[in-house]
Amino acid sequence: MTLTRIPSETRVPAPPRAPAPSKRRIGRRQEAMAGYVFLTPWLIGLIGITAIPMLYSLYLSFTRYNLLRPPEWIGIANYERMLSDPNFRHAVWVTLMFALVSVPLKLTVALGVALLLNRERRGIGFFRALLYLPSLLGGSVALAIVWQAMFGVTGAFNNLLGLVGIEGRGWVNDPDTALWTLVLLAVWQFGAPMVIFLAGLKQIPTELYEAAWVDGAGRIRAFWHVTLPMLSPVIFFNLVLEMINGFQGFTSAYVIGNGNGSPAGSTLLYTVYLYLRGFGNLQMGYASAMAWVFLIAVGLLTVVLFTTGRMWVHYGDGDR
Amino acid sequence: MPHKPASRHSLRRVTALLAAGAVALPLTLAACGGDEGEDGTIELEILWWGGPERAQATEAALDLYEERHPNVTIHRRWQGYDGYYDGLSTNAAAGDAPDIFQIDENLLSEFATNGITYDLSEFLGDTIEVDALAPGLLETGTVDGQVAGLVAAQNTPGLIYDRTVVQQYGLPEPEIGMSWEELIDWAEQISQASDGQVYGTSDPSHDYKALWVWLRQRGQELYEDGELGFSEADLTEWFQLWAEARASGAAPPPDVSNPAIGGDVSSQLVITQQAATSFMWDNQLSELSEGTDHELGLTAYPGDPSGQWARPSMFWSIYAGSEHAEAAADVINFLINDPEAGQLLGAERGLPPNLDVREQVADSFSEAMQEVVAFEEQMVDQFGDAPSPPPPGHAEVRRLLEDAAQNVQFGRATPAEAAASFFEQAASAISL
Repeated sequence: MTLTRIPSETRVPAPPRAPAPSKRRIGRRQEAMAGYVFLTPWLIGLIGITAIPMLYSLYLSFTRYNLLRPPEWIGIANYERMLSDPNFRHAVWVTLMFALVSVPLKLTVALGVALLLNRERRGIGFFRALLYLPSLLGGSVALAIVWQAMFGVTGAFNNLLGLVGIEGRGWVNDPDTALWTLVLLAVWQFGAPMVIFLAGLKQIPTELYEAAWVDGAGRIRAFWHVTLPMLSPVIFFNLVLEMINGFQGFTSAYVIGNGNGSPAGSTLLYTVYLYLRGFGNLQMGYASAMAWVFLIAVGLLTVVLFTTGRMWVHYGDGDR
Repeated sequence: MPHKPASRHSLRRVTALLAAGAVALPLTLAACGGDEGEDGTIELEILWWGGPERAQATEAALDLYEERHPNVTIHRRWQGYDGYYDGLSTNAAAGDAPDIFQIDENLLSEFATNGITYDLSEFLGDTIEVDALAPGLLETGTVDGQVAGLVAAQNTPGLIYDRTVVQQYGLPEPEIGMSWEELIDWAEQISQASDGQVYGTSDPSHDYKALWVWLRQRGQELYEDGELGFSEADLTEWFQLWAEARASGAAPPPDVSNPAIGGDVSSQLVITQQAATSFMWDNQLSELSEGTDHELGLTAYPGDPSGQWARPSMFWSIYAGSEHAEAAADVINFLINDPEAGQLLGAERGLPPNLDVREQVADSFSEAMQEVVAFEEQMVDQFGDAPSPPPPGHAEVRRLLEDAAQNVQFGRATPAEAAASFFEQAASAISL
């Protein structure tokens, strides 16, 4: 995406004679002022609701703070404590498993469905809407509760398995499978990346496919050598977005894990553990420190994605 | 804004509120001039957790108070236990906690040591009568010499069993003083007699209060001086006991047990009729009885009953920043000591802490509540001393115990391994 810059001359009413530069500067300054005035509501939000609380949490991360008593400065003790907290390591591990499985899976499914929907048939719009629907229900509490019921011992999923003679188990209650029900729930919400993929697919010029076919490429070769490279910026965009989303998953894990990562801590995502420390045990200093480590880790991961992205993302305009 | 579910009283209250507001308005304007509170109207806010049954009873009692004290308006808020302390702590941090709030031993000492609770000692024997309180209960609300909370009700651990099932298979009902091994043998017989339809007992290996009673029977405590009061070997033995119970079929496999953990009361196995017992607090009998068509019975946890104690199920505290502490204290006095209030409140929170009230109102209780009273009367002479309240970090310790017990249940760890990892993790949970 490129930002087109509108030359300011087109906006400022042209004076009848060549204007003195100083006057023009004043006009510009007034324009900038007006711009900031219009931005004020957003700026107040950014500073008041995002920037200040973030800085405050950075401060809190160096304190012992239980909400009830003023924060007490303890330096980097919270960060040190994290290194020796086995639950912290466990939560990191669970989160990595969750994100590293659910994100690629979700993108694959989204791309697959987008490919299926990328054709002009009667009623295709209906199917596009239908397949997008789960994403609208998305991360809601209601859906997580439905999920919990569906994958319980007596849930619909086991009834279904029972029909074909397979004996199921309490999928959400078994530490070996609970996390995978969360992954499934995340993957099922493939709508947003699907729509973006679909838009990307429509951007690929048909000449490229025609040229490939003339050269004797089949469908599969065309997919690997035309579709994927042409789609790579979109894949990259989706990957970055979904990765960040995946690491921040909270609602469904909180509901399905009964708010404490059960069974046996198998659904203890980082965010859930952070919440438990902060609000369950009133250890806001530790929770703030965890939040900052999280921010930095996700930030680093994004940087890594951007760096490695250069090697495989093809922007189609000559420079990679 | 204080909100409460609509009830038949609400219209009256709204009218009263509007009227009070209309009356108070000129006076509040006058108050700006510096004449504070001359008008005599007082607005209090009260907060508790609980279900609809508790809300109904508490609202009725507060209505009665307002009727007797027309100058006092009490705004009520209530919610479930989940997230209760999130909100309350945040309010307290913002200097905006309700005048009166319900609190339990999990956080009482934390709130008290942080100066959130008003020291009630100045009201004792004056605004708040304490002479008739059951012995030992007043002290449970005392933290570092401050009276941080006044006991709102009393309960004790109670083993709730399915009398219908027990009689159906012709087994004796469990009794106070039966050993843990006897309970498990008894449970095994039920499992066998019912041909696996009903497990004899639910599996409390994850449950801190069952572990606590079991430890106390061995002369130990869950916490001692703010640290864990037991050893890895004790916990291994506890897990081992229940691993064997599961192996013999006395207790259900984790698939069955697990949905009951952390769910609400209606998911207890004695309600879903998957097991013949659940490890509860005794006052929960009335709530549980409404969830099943079977008849339920109540007894002590297995082992020596001196492992149990008269426990303050919850306290009423006053916010240290309250502008009307005296008026709030009067409301607390009413809730605890007034016989009519006692009748309205029943034993939903636990037994009335005031012995006179307990005696006077017991006859009007529902059948289930009367069974609770009878059980407490049997226990009262056998109770051991009350332990000191759990230290900060207790919530995390409970979660870790659940994790460890589940790892054993699902065969992901041996009892010894689970106990070892519990101790490793708990060390970093307490005291931070």
